[in-house]
Amino acid sequence: MNNLSSHGNKILNDFNPFKNFKLENYKYAQLHKDHTSENFSDSSYDYNELLKISHNLQKTDFEETDLSFKVDKWNFNSVDSYFRVSSLSSRSSLTLNLDNFSQEVLLVDVNHFNENISFTKNSSKNQTLILITSNISNPEPRSIFFDLAENSNLEILQLALSNNRSFIYFEIDQSDFSKMNFITFQSNNNHIRNEYYASLGEKCELNLLGLNFKNNFINDNFSYIQHLKPSTASNEIFKSIVDNGAITNFQGKIYVDPIAQKTDGYQMSRSLLLDSKSKANNKPELEIYADDVKCSHGSTVAKLSQNQIYYFKTRGIDEQTAKNILQKAFLIEIIESLQNKEIKDFSMKLLDNLI
Amino acid sequence: MLNIKDLKASIEDKQIIKGLDLSINKGEVHALMGPNGSGKSTLSYVLSGKDGYEIDSGSVDFKGKNLLELDVDERSNEGLFLAFQYPMEIPGVQTSFFLKTAINAKRKYQGLEEIDALEFAKLVKSKAEELSISPDMLKRDLNVNYSGGEKKKQEILQMSLLNPEMAILDETDSGLDIDALRIVSEGVNKLRNENNSFLVITHYQRLLNYIKPDFVHIIADGKIVKSGNFSLALELEEKGYEEISKTA
Repeated sequence: MNNLSSHGNKILNDFNPFKNFKLENYKYAQLHKDHTSENFSDSSYDYNELLKISHNLQKTDFEETDLSFKVDKWNFNSVDSYFRVSSLSSRSSLTLNLDNFSQEVLLVDVNHFNENISFTKNSSKNQTLILITSNISNPEPRSIFFDLAENSNLEILQLALSNNRSFIYFEIDQSDFSKMNFITFQSNNNHIRNEYYASLGEKCELNLLGLNFKNNFINDNFSYIQHLKPSTASNEIFKSIVDNGAITNFQGKIYVDPIAQKTDGYQMSRSLLLDSKSKANNKPELEIYADDVKCSHGSTVAKLSQNQIYYFKTRGIDEQTAKNILQKAFLIEIIESLQNKEIKDFSMKLLDNLI
Repeated sequence: MLNIKDLKASIEDKQIIKGLDLSINKGEVHALMGPNGSGKSTLSYVLSGKDGYEIDSGSVDFKGKNLLELDVDERSNEGLFLAFQYPMEIPGVQTSFFLKTAINAKRKYQGLEEIDALEFAKLVKSKAEELSISPDMLKRDLNVNYSGGEKKKQEILQMSLLNPEMAILDETDSGLDIDALRIVSEGVNKLRNENNSFLVITHYQRLLNYIKPDFVHIIADGKIVKSGNFSLALELEEKGYEEISKTA
């Protein structure tokens, strides 16, 4: 920590959301409270089926690296991420070049790592990386970086299941003409926050989609998508279903640089509240400095439609089945966006089992 | 089959059905006609068991059971079907999946096993063809971006798959062009037999040219004010509701 620059020290000392609950970007995450749940039950998910269709990356596949220089290499315009600075200053780091693997589906269980991880990809070969960020009970943030070279593409499925406390910073750096499809699947968590910071080069495409349901306390997603060059497209959809007094948060900013003409940005956050105890905080933000852009955002909070449930019941379908089908129907769009068919089928089954 | 006695029902403390009597026997088709706001749709909602409708008094007997004591899904599984004037759109739920779920709900209620996938596919295909419903439509989300005619055909398809003993058609003719009206009516006529009954709710006599009713009732201000045979519908078309209601 002593080697940290004044910038790093300032972030750690003055912008620590675990101590200071007034920070705008962490406003609803309630990190200053220790909500470790004593009776939180880890559901052990069976990943065996996933291992059959993917190549499980081991620690020995990774190279040790020093990413601490990134503390002062902050590319985003708003206040820095505490998660990023604290994890870079307290954890060592590993890198892995995804091009070294011929398999189409790769899997990393992040819980087996104490380090920050950086992935690079240079090729345009279709590849899906499954990131398991499950069964984590550790309030120390960690960072995961993705570096996409020009013309490369990558699909990611994050499975965040059964975390007591999990706080992760994701950074996506896309060079010109690269494509990223990032889907996050979150369920049965107690207190989690995911930060997604993405930076887009010329003619890049980013899809960032998330679903969350059946969480216990706070489920918090924060995104910052930065369009830095012309003709970039970002498509962001987060859907959540909240019950039992849980809270879901979505805070997302789209930043469009003055030179990023022809930007196409879309952001939508939608929440379904199943009871009156539960809460959804949605905060969309646009910051646009170019004039020839198409940016839209929307946010909805609703209950399950009584009229739709009634319609199901007039066809003999009982209320609980109707509600389950409608919940799945609400979330399915997110799963549909997965490109890899095997992974999509797996995710569909997972949704069926968990809902 | 269905026996409604002195039924009074309200929504939000406003009484809409004000002492309605109606008796429908096995194998009969009854038409219920009446002006806007007379209580036609309210009656269909009350019979289906929709939330928010309060029964003030009266009774409804369906096949010897007290219909009003049953939950909405039980009424359906007992053989009551309501074809909606405005069918709900259900985004994210594929039409064929919905149909299969409905069929299996009824089979479960009857103590039968779930329908075999192949048998289901064949059944739906043949019924859909009869109603000129394209196979492509079955893959789309239920009623989402359907035209008015497609929605009504979808209701009739559901009815033919669930094969109810008592079907209520709530203004099924509204929003239909002549071709669709003919197809929908043929679909209904195919289902007609000596064991099931229909209550056809409509504004216009036109539909009744296709679905010939055994009895015609006129409803005004929550009560049946006149009953007769098909000629009553013709008389109504000629004279209008106001005139007929006066002579009641």
